Amino acid sequence: MARYLLKRLLSAVVTIWVTTIAVVLLIHLVPGDPVKIMFAQSQSTTPEQLETVRHNLGLDRPIYEQYAIYMSRVLHGDFGHTIRGDQPILPLLLGRLPYTLALALSSLLVATVIGLGLGFLAAYKRGTALDSLCMVLAIGGVSVPVFWLGQILILVFAVRLSWFQVAGSDWRSLILPALTLGVTNAAVVARLTRSTMIDIFNQDYIRTAWAKGLPARTVLSRHALRAGLVPIVTILGLQFTYTMGGAVIVENVFSWNGIGRLAVQAIFQRDYPLIQGFILTFACLVALVSLAMDVLYAVLDPRIVHV
Amino acid sequence: MAQVVRTSKSSRTGRIAALVLGVLAGAAVPLAALGARAADGTLVWARDGDSDSLDPQRTTTTLSWEVFAQIYDSLLAFDESGKIGPHLAKSWVVSPDGKEVSLTLNGDITCHDGAPFTAEDVKYTIDRALDAKNPSITKASWGPITSVDVVNPETVSVKFSSPFGAFLSFMTDPMASMLCRGDAKLGDKFGVSAAIGTGPFKLVSWTKGDQIVLERNTAYKNFGLPAQNKSAPHIAKLVVKNITEAQSRLAGLKTGELQVAEPPLAEVTTIKDDKTLTLVTAKNTGQDNFFEFAVHRPPFNDARARKAIAYALDIDGALDIVYGGLVDRERCPVAHPVMGSEQDFCKSVGYDYDPEKAKALLAELGYGPDKPLDVVMLSWTGGDRDKLVQVFQNQLQQVGIHAKIEMMDIGTLNARVTQENEKTTGPGTFDLMGWAWFDPDILYALWHSPGAYKGYSTPELDALLEKSRTSADPTSRLGLVHDIEKILLQEAVMIPVYTPGWNWIYAVRAEVKGFKVGPFKRPMFNDVTF
Amino acid sequence: MSESFPVEELPAALAPLPPAAALRPGPVRRIGSFLLRNPGGVIGATIVLCLVLSAVLAPIIAPYDPLHMGAGRRLTPPSPAHPFGTDEFGRDLLSRVIYGSRLTLQIGLIAVSISLGTGLLVGLVGGYSGGWVERILMRGTDVLFSFTDTLIALAAVAVLGPSLTNAMIAVGIAAIPYYARVTYGVVLVEKSKPYFDAAVAAGAGHLRIIFVHLLPNVIPPLIVVASLGVSAAVLAAAGLSFLGLGAQPPSPEWGAMLASGRDYFTRASWIMTFPGLAIALSVLGFNLLGDALREALDPRQRRR
Repeated sequence: MARYLLKRLLSAVVTIWVTTIAVVLLIHLVPGDPVKIMFAQSQSTTPEQLETVRHNLGLDRPIYEQYAIYMSRVLHGDFGHTIRGDQPILPLLLGRLPYTLALALSSLLVATVIGLGLGFLAAYKRGTALDSLCMVLAIGGVSVPVFWLGQILILVFAVRLSWFQVAGSDWRSLILPALTLGVTNAAVVARLTRSTMIDIFNQDYIRTAWAKGLPARTVLSRHALRAGLVPIVTILGLQFTYTMGGAVIVENVFSWNGIGRLAVQAIFQRDYPLIQGFILTFACLVALVSLAMDVLYAVLDPRIVHV
Repeated sequence: MAQVVRTSKSSRTGRIAALVLGVLAGAAVPLAALGARAADGTLVWARDGDSDSLDPQRTTTTLSWEVFAQIYDSLLAFDESGKIGPHLAKSWVVSPDGKEVSLTLNGDITCHDGAPFTAEDVKYTIDRALDAKNPSITKASWGPITSVDVVNPETVSVKFSSPFGAFLSFMTDPMASMLCRGDAKLGDKFGVSAAIGTGPFKLVSWTKGDQIVLERNTAYKNFGLPAQNKSAPHIAKLVVKNITEAQSRLAGLKTGELQVAEPPLAEVTTIKDDKTLTLVTAKNTGQDNFFEFAVHRPPFNDARARKAIAYALDIDGALDIVYGGLVDRERCPVAHPVMGSEQDFCKSVGYDYDPEKAKALLAELGYGPDKPLDVVMLSWTGGDRDKLVQVFQNQLQQVGIHAKIEMMDIGTLNARVTQENEKTTGPGTFDLMGWAWFDPDILYALWHSPGAYKGYSTPELDALLEKSRTSADPTSRLGLVHDIEKILLQEAVMIPVYTPGWNWIYAVRAEVKGFKVGPFKRPMFNDVTF
Repeated sequence: MSESFPVEELPAALAPLPPAAALRPGPVRRIGSFLLRNPGGVIGATIVLCLVLSAVLAPIIAPYDPLHMGAGRRLTPPSPAHPFGTDEFGRDLLSRVIYGSRLTLQIGLIAVSISLGTGLLVGLVGGYSGGWVERILMRGTDVLFSFTDTLIALAAVAVLGPSLTNAMIAVGIAAIPYYARVTYGVVLVEKSKPYFDAAVAAGAGHLRIIFVHLLPNVIPPLIVVASLGVSAAVLAAAGLSFLGLGAQPPSPEWGAMLASGRDYFTRASWIMTFPGLAIALSVLGFNLLGDALREALDPRQRRR
């Protein structure tokens, strides 16, 4: 167990380390002079000022020195300042992160409830019209572009009907974005759950339980559900990563104040220090959650340690 | 998939239950941290972006200075008709040689931190703006100041190395906002999370990207703003929210979460019929949207190519398609109501829609139906400009010019235009740029070498610009400005298109009274009640 | 975006893979007969076929030039002259949607080619070489995978700048791990079989082993991943265009059309509806086709 955890921890650390390398290299992949591109709006930017910026960012040094400088700053919690507005980056990102997390977790909740329910139902009633209906809904949910769905929901439920709010930053304005993201996620969860549960229902011991005449409730909850929960937890763990990705799009559609929206603005503004900080934060978050999921998975199913 | 696992069932259930509770708790924590709904007496104003900084000397974006105007005051202010009048300074004297301006402040002005606002604060502000090591972004607009002296607590004397005609009008600008000395003690927090001024609202907090929360300055005195209310604002709090999606802003207005917001331009006609909302349109914005070219390489180093573009564009037609009456055609390099914006004069020296002449000029340059001219048209996002450039692209296509469109953020555009002016190879580029200023001195900033974007410049133009800058007499200055405009227009260095162009239309809930937009697009909340 | 990707492949990648040699001969014939029995597959194949035809025949079947402003009056609702209505410039929406199918196919093909080509190479080389080459390649794949395709796409666009081509490249790069992992898995399984060591001992060249033994077993699961991957690529690129980071005006790319259509939703809802339906339908088609292919080609499934 300890060896397994250590391996997973090492894996997470390696991922983060590679991210830092990629992040430092990022600026150099930009065609043209990144400093000129970044340091935009001031009409009176003299060449001296550009050189100052270049020096502050360390871009006039060789690459390995840049990496060392960047890493030492990062480890001290200094992610630098944004080019536009000169704001310190780490507090900026950390301030917006709770909004993204709220969106991700609430949509995950929606996806779990709807997805598990639909998938379980479809597996249980496999081969019937209900199964087909559930799967049609699911494949529809997977095919619908999430930004289209979100936009339509805004226009119908907020502008036309005024049922929901979209302009605030509190939980009332979270409902529509969470639903949008959750519904598309639910479709994926439903499909996965269905295939998992079908395999389980086919297991001999389940068939035995049916043959023994146990009531449906018992068979389903005590045997099938228990066996299915472990792979389902895996599915949900993976879903978190996808949700973080989907949150970026949804945040932009709904003007929800998370880091995804900040990232897109940063790209438009060519604010490379902010983009670097965003990538680093995002990757760390995902790595940490994956690590947590791995640990959880090991706790729930100790066999996996020996894979 | 998974087989039966021989661990204890109850402990597994327990763990799974713990997991679910953990997820729920995890979701609850960030939710609890999110802001609560605004209370009464609070006006929520939503815009399509966020301020860059709360430090007036660090940024020039409209979104930023709209907020400066709430937190700070300027020494002078425009009245309703656009004339310069007193504000923090109650009077001023310009020396006969034009090299010294002496300003006398109103008494009994208090900064937000309680300290009195005196001539020392004026000196602090100007010195900071001109600081050699870390100058303000608008350093050139302050003029050639040599020193700022405190004559007495209510009088300050500003000395110049040569007369600078635009100084007084710049003193009305939010970017020349007066800071309080308390800002120096804020260190790194100034402009980021704290700001001290003398304006109608105090800064409470700034959640970057989300909202700026301001509260009423009870000690406020309005000396010169064109508002009826001469003391503290009526509303208790002003929340400036960032909502980039226009439809979301509209939704917020309809549900009542927002009271003032810029609606999607396409929806303006429907809003006119909506009883719950009123439209407030800024007049006299001084916003000029114009085309300019990368003139240091072909094809636009040749004036004929530029003129071909000018002839090829049916500007009135395009404006009608995209804006349908919401904007006006602008023919001059400076926009109404700035001096120099005389439409008849500019029309007489400019170019009108004439596709045949465009084709003839292109033929002269060697382009024709089998050899189209490939160029790149740049512009910045917002204000439905993306639609406008598509219509222009279509029009250029008709005369045989293939224009590829690239849209970007304004800051990126500024950098890109400079880049293109420095490049010696590549397809010709031209851009639809926007500038707002209240004085023809902007022409100096843009076109005097090396130029804001290192673009077009000639010694003749430079000489005229320098003369107009130091000219004190309005009549002769106007003549010089016209001479400058004649060069710019006849050489097709720039092609003015329309005014206003950005953030000029507000949709306001019907129960909100008193919201005004002053000259040069200064939103004012001093009179607002609801 | 990433939600529509073949996640089903991933728990499979964790569990031991089946013997791929269990594939019965004549996969083409099996695919054909299976699709006929599988209505979902038939629908999917039909949709994809329509999409391809629409793309290929666009100049013939589109009633107007998609860029022609003034083909009709601006913002007219669907009518016999303009079955999908016109947009804010008077361009015929049906023609734009039809030409947009070209871009959609381009996006799918280019993005998947990048992912497939690179992923196949990485998985083959990694699985086949063993040793530190294998460790580095597969660890690199894992790291790339953990970034999530959204992040990679955003980073790629940040570096390269917004354009449809860059969006396609970004989406392509982001999906490499899926293809690499599947390939890698198959290669590992084949390596564990007796015939493999025998072939190596008999002196069979590397290329021969790869082409004769490995590739035929890798291709079927990759076909499945690819067909589901096309739908994911289309959604991802449309998302980027919607944000303004992909196709630029006046390109009739469906995601970009959605973005410009939302300003007119209350007055002219058709501008947003039809491109959105087109995206959803195309994605649905590829998803159905991919599902059917998986059932046909993956011997582990015993669905119906």
